[in-house]
Amino acid sequence: MADLTAKLGRIVLKNPVMTASGTFGYGREYHDIFDISRLGAVVVKGIRLTPSHGNPTPRVCEVAGGMLNAIGLQGPGVDKFLHGADYLPFLRTTGATVIVNIWGTGIEEYGEVAARLDAEAEGIAALEINISCPNVKAGGAAFGTDLKLAAEVVRTVRRSTRLPLITKLSPNVTHISEFARAAEAEGSDAVSLINTLGAMVIDIEKRRPVLANRCGGLSGPAVKPVAVKMVYETSRAVKIPVIGMGGISCGADAVEFLLAGAKAVAVGTANFVEPTISLEIIDFIDEYMERHGFKSIDELSGALEG
Amino acid sequence: MNARIIANTRILGDYFRLVFAAPEMAERAAAGHFTHLRIDRRQDRILRRPFSIHDADRATGEITVVYKVVGHGTTVLSQLVPGDTIDALGPQGRPYTPPADDVLPVAVAGGYGAAAMFMLTRVRPGVLLMGARSAADVILTDRYRDAGYEVRVATNDGSLGEKGFVTDLIPRLLAEHPGEKLFFYGCGPHPMLMALAKLLRDQGLDGELSIDQIMCCGVGACFGCVVKVNAPGSADGWRYARSCSEGPVFPLADVYTE
Repeated sequence: MADLTAKLGRIVLKNPVMTASGTFGYGREYHDIFDISRLGAVVVKGIRLTPSHGNPTPRVCEVAGGMLNAIGLQGPGVDKFLHGADYLPFLRTTGATVIVNIWGTGIEEYGEVAARLDAEAEGIAALEINISCPNVKAGGAAFGTDLKLAAEVVRTVRRSTRLPLITKLSPNVTHISEFARAAEAEGSDAVSLINTLGAMVIDIEKRRPVLANRCGGLSGPAVKPVAVKMVYETSRAVKIPVIGMGGISCGADAVEFLLAGAKAVAVGTANFVEPTISLEIIDFIDEYMERHGFKSIDELSGALEG
Repeated sequence: MNARIIANTRILGDYFRLVFAAPEMAERAAAGHFTHLRIDRRQDRILRRPFSIHDADRATGEITVVYKVVGHGTTVLSQLVPGDTIDALGPQGRPYTPPADDVLPVAVAGGYGAAAMFMLTRVRPGVLLMGARSAADVILTDRYRDAGYEVRVATNDGSLGEKGFVTDLIPRLLAEHPGEKLFFYGCGPHPMLMALAKLLRDQGLDGELSIDQIMCCGVGACFGCVVKVNAPGSADGWRYARSCSEGPVFPLADVYTE
C-alpha cells in the first residue's frame, strides 16, 4: 500500500479524498451508508452566524453532463452547528476529520463565525472560507470575484482563528490564480477550487428560467476539464497547497487533478450519484500509485510530464 | 446496489410497472417510501431518479414501482428488460404511518400518486379516492379493489367517474360516514395536495401527505428537494424541510399552505 497521507501545510489527512462542501450535508446523512471517518476529510455545508432558509424551489436541475443548483446556503447557523445533535457533536463521535465551510453576508460576519468555531474547535481540523457561492448575492460572488474584497475576507478570518484556513475560490473570474495569490498573501493555508460555474437553463415552453433563482451553479462531469486547467495554473502560481475539485466522478478523474498539481481532491456532485464513490476513489488512487511507483501523494502531486 | 429486473411492462398508455429483486429493500419497505434509481450509466444524464415504492413482497424479495414515461430517464427505464440490472437505493424517506385501529383509512390520489399508497391496503380495508385528468390516467384502481378497498373516481374531463377534482369526492364521503373517524392519506400533484390540506383543515380532519420537489441526492445531503413546512415558534413560522429525508410524507399539521 502506498502512503496516502495528504499534507496540506498544517492540515494532515489520512488520504487525499475529501467531500465538497454542500454535497455531503453535515456528514450524518451519509454515515448510515458508510463509515465517513474513512474519508480524508468531511467538508460540511456552509455555516454562517444565523439560520438561513436558502432559495425557493426548484433549486436543482439536471443538464447534459451535470447539474445546476441554486440552493442558496440553507443552514442551521453556527449555534446549532456547534451544539445540535445532528451536527458537530455527532461528527465528533465518528472520528472523522472535519473541515467547516463558513460564509457571511458581510466581512465582519465571516470573522465572527470563525471566532465562534475557534472557541469550540474540538474536532475541527480546518475552516474553509466560502467566497465563491454563485447563488447568494452577499457572501458569495460579491467577495469571490473582487480581489480586494476576497483579500479582506481572508485577512479578517485569519485574525479571528488559529485554525488552518482553506480559501475556496470561484471560477467565475478572469484569472483564478490572482485570487489564490491574494489568499496566500493573507495567510490562507491552502486554496480549494473550483466552486460551480455560473449557469442558466430556460424552459422554452414556459419561457421561464428552470431554477427559481433564475441562475445557478454548474457542476458534474461537464466542468472537470475547466477545473483541471484552473488547478494546473493555480498550483504553479502559489506555494500553498491546492485542493482540486470539479466534476470528479471516479478514481481516474481524481488522479488527473493530483497530476495537475493538487495535493488533495474533493468529490462533489458524484456523491449524489453514488454515495460510496469516495471510497472507490481512495482505492483507485492507492492502486494507481502502486502501479506507477509513487510512494507518496507529494510525489504524485504535479507529476505531470510535459 | 445492483438489482435484477424481473418485469418491466406497460400497464396502460404511458404507465409502466417495474419489478426488481431487492430482498433487503423489500424487507423494510412501507407505503410512502421511495427507491432512488440510477437508470442511465452514461455521463450525459447523471442523477438518480426517485420512484415511490408501489409494492414490496417480503416472500419473494421483489420491489414493484409504477411509473409514467415523462422524460429522458423514464424513457430509458421503459426500455430495460428482464435480466437487466438497475442500481437501486432504498427504501428512502419517511413513510406513511399505518392507520390506527379506530380509523377508516382514506387514500386520496392524484394520477399515479395512487402507486405510492398501495401498501396501506395491507393493513386494513379502506377507501381510495382516485383523481385524474381523464380515464386514460386512472390506473391501479383494480388492484385497490382486489385488496378490499372501495374505489371512487373523479376525472377532470368527466370521462370516468364524477367530473371534477378528487377533493370534490370528500364532502359526500364525510356525509356517508357520520361519527366515524376518518384518516386521510394523500399523494399527487402539488396543487391537489394543497387543496386537500386546506379542505382537511377546514373540516377539522387529520392525515398525512406525501409532498416532494425535484430531488437530487435522495439522502438529505444536498437540500435540493426542500418543501415549506410549518415551524411554529420560528421567526417566519415556516422552514424548508428536505422532502427526501424529512419527508416525503409529512403530517397534515406540518404541511404549509399559503
